[in-house]
Amino acid sequence: MASASTTAVATGPSFVRQKILLGMNGRDYLKSLVTPNNLIITAILVAGLPVLAWRFIAGLGAVTNLSQTAPWGIWIGFDMMTGIVLAAGGFTIGSAVQIFNLKDYHPIERPAILTAFLGYVMAIFGLLADLGRPWNIVMALVSNGAASVLYEVAWCVMCYSTVLALEFSVPLFEWLGWKKLHSIMKKTLVALTVLSVIFSTMHQSALGSLFLLAPTKLHPLWYTPYIFVFFFVSAIIAGLSMVIVESFLSHKAFASQLKGAHFDLDKLTLGLGRAAAIVMFAYFFLKLQGVVDGHTWGYLATGYGAWWLVETVGFGLVPALLCAWGARNGSVKAVRIGGAMGVLSIALNRLNMSVIAFNWNEPVRYFPSWQEVLVSLTLCTLGVVLFRFIVNRMPILKEDPAFPQEH
Amino acid sequence: MTFDLLSIYPAKLMEYGLGVGYMLLFIPFWRYVQGSAKPAEATVRVPGHAPAMAREKRAPAATAPAYGWFQIPAGLKLHPGHTWARVEDDGVVTVGMDDFAQKLVGPARVALPSVGARVAQGEAAFEVATGNGSVPMLSPVEGTVVAVNEAARASAETLSEPYGKGWLFKVKAPRLARDLRQLISDNAATRFLEGAAETLAAQMSPQLGQVLQDGGAPILGIGPEIAGEKWTDLARKFFLT
Repeated sequence: MASASTTAVATGPSFVRQKILLGMNGRDYLKSLVTPNNLIITAILVAGLPVLAWRFIAGLGAVTNLSQTAPWGIWIGFDMMTGIVLAAGGFTIGSAVQIFNLKDYHPIERPAILTAFLGYVMAIFGLLADLGRPWNIVMALVSNGAASVLYEVAWCVMCYSTVLALEFSVPLFEWLGWKKLHSIMKKTLVALTVLSVIFSTMHQSALGSLFLLAPTKLHPLWYTPYIFVFFFVSAIIAGLSMVIVESFLSHKAFASQLKGAHFDLDKLTLGLGRAAAIVMFAYFFLKLQGVVDGHTWGYLATGYGAWWLVETVGFGLVPALLCAWGARNGSVKAVRIGGAMGVLSIALNRLNMSVIAFNWNEPVRYFPSWQEVLVSLTLCTLGVVLFRFIVNRMPILKEDPAFPQEH
Repeated sequence: MTFDLLSIYPAKLMEYGLGVGYMLLFIPFWRYVQGSAKPAEATVRVPGHAPAMAREKRAPAATAPAYGWFQIPAGLKLHPGHTWARVEDDGVVTVGMDDFAQKLVGPARVALPSVGARVAQGEAAFEVATGNGSVPMLSPVEGTVVAVNEAARASAETLSEPYGKGWLFKVKAPRLARDLRQLISDNAATRFLEGAAETLAAQMSPQLGQVLQDGGAPILGIGPEIAGEKWTDLARKFFLT
């Protein structure tokens, strides 16, 4: 056996073949790519990427329904606002493991950080597509706009994306086998996690602060002077819920990588459900307090009020109770359904804030064009493809035997 | 109607009422969420007043379905050194070695600590010995030994029921919650034993890979069988001593 492995190393496959093509030769690898899922993915990308390119050639007006009165469409409401909030799993789990020392959650930390990183990358793509003159974004680096909320948002995005990239570099260096750089980055992980909490807190809440500038444009049921607090608390819900959902999906999709792993995902899911239930419960009362504080309960009897109740009770209180019941009775299924509803609830909240309940009293309302929907779908698909590409190669779910993890 | 301007007192009453109401509701909600009703453990637990023999007979009945070579009952807490801990109704912790250790060592004598002795989690607490040497094993919890299974000390046969009458000693564990956090149970324990079985299979036929898994269950005393007099080195690897 010893001699066999020595020869394998001596005549071992090339870097590309081993690291990129999963040990197959080019032909076999291409063959392995022909699957029904990949056909759907290819169809979406073939349709969506030209539309994205056309937006940069012909301008926003050519592909979007945006106007002077409705400058924010789903590229902001969905790609940016929702993409960022669903990336909150990175700092939520990161701080649980690195700062609060809940080492049990270590096995789901890397997928959470990868999800956050890709979420941010896709949100930035969406933002660049939405900006009228995207090349001017570099001005945020050199201009002094400290009185502007957008200035804070821009800096937070840049800083946090950098921190996420550095956090992600730990598995990346393991994959490349660069031991020296890896050991340096690993030592900085606690510091990076502290930074990630700082920048996330600022960024999630600053996205809410943007709406402080538009008290008359946002529907009174959603507008409150404490909007940035709501954004931060709901980001924690989104982070926990997203990790519940993402860990379930990736463990289904990548089951072969988890052979011999010594951790119990069901137990971790119940723990996450416990935390999510408590934050969701608190957030529900915060939302109620927002209405009471703004004296806007009269609006509850209107159509927008019904919609608000769908978001707050249907997707807010109900998943809180589901997660609580599931965590207490050991029902992982209930927690997963609650987690999925939690993800939907926060995504719905961000869409309501920036698209549906925004400019609610304008005579002509914005509705996204099919090109806008297609581009959003394309970006999501790209995120999933990148996630799959990385998880299949790098030590995200599985451990690299050359780099044992301490638990 | 849409924008009700209340006078300041009713408005503040609603705000504070909601705040106080939230806090009052939060207490039972927190307690509900933090509490647990785990059915898996409930099935293993046997009433404290049941006669000792009845408890010993019923415990193996709760064994999880055989998944391979080695078994572990639901709700039992496993230490990576192949010893187990079970919290009894009176709060005392029963300690023993797991199915894997028992089958690895085979018929053996055990040298148990005396009543009143202190044991520490992850430190050697007792020894198993055959004619060809002895190996220390680790205690899964920290505390004072309050009872020792004389039957297990006296006859090797008793050990063949590692989760039943083959228990070894009982410990009064003052820092139980902390200790239990370090132990594994249920699915994780099952996977841990599967992993140990795979490692063992590789030891048995390194040149062939895992062929032994294709058929047959391991015999009692795998260690002496495959490693002869060097079985203690093999056992030390698995028992982390």
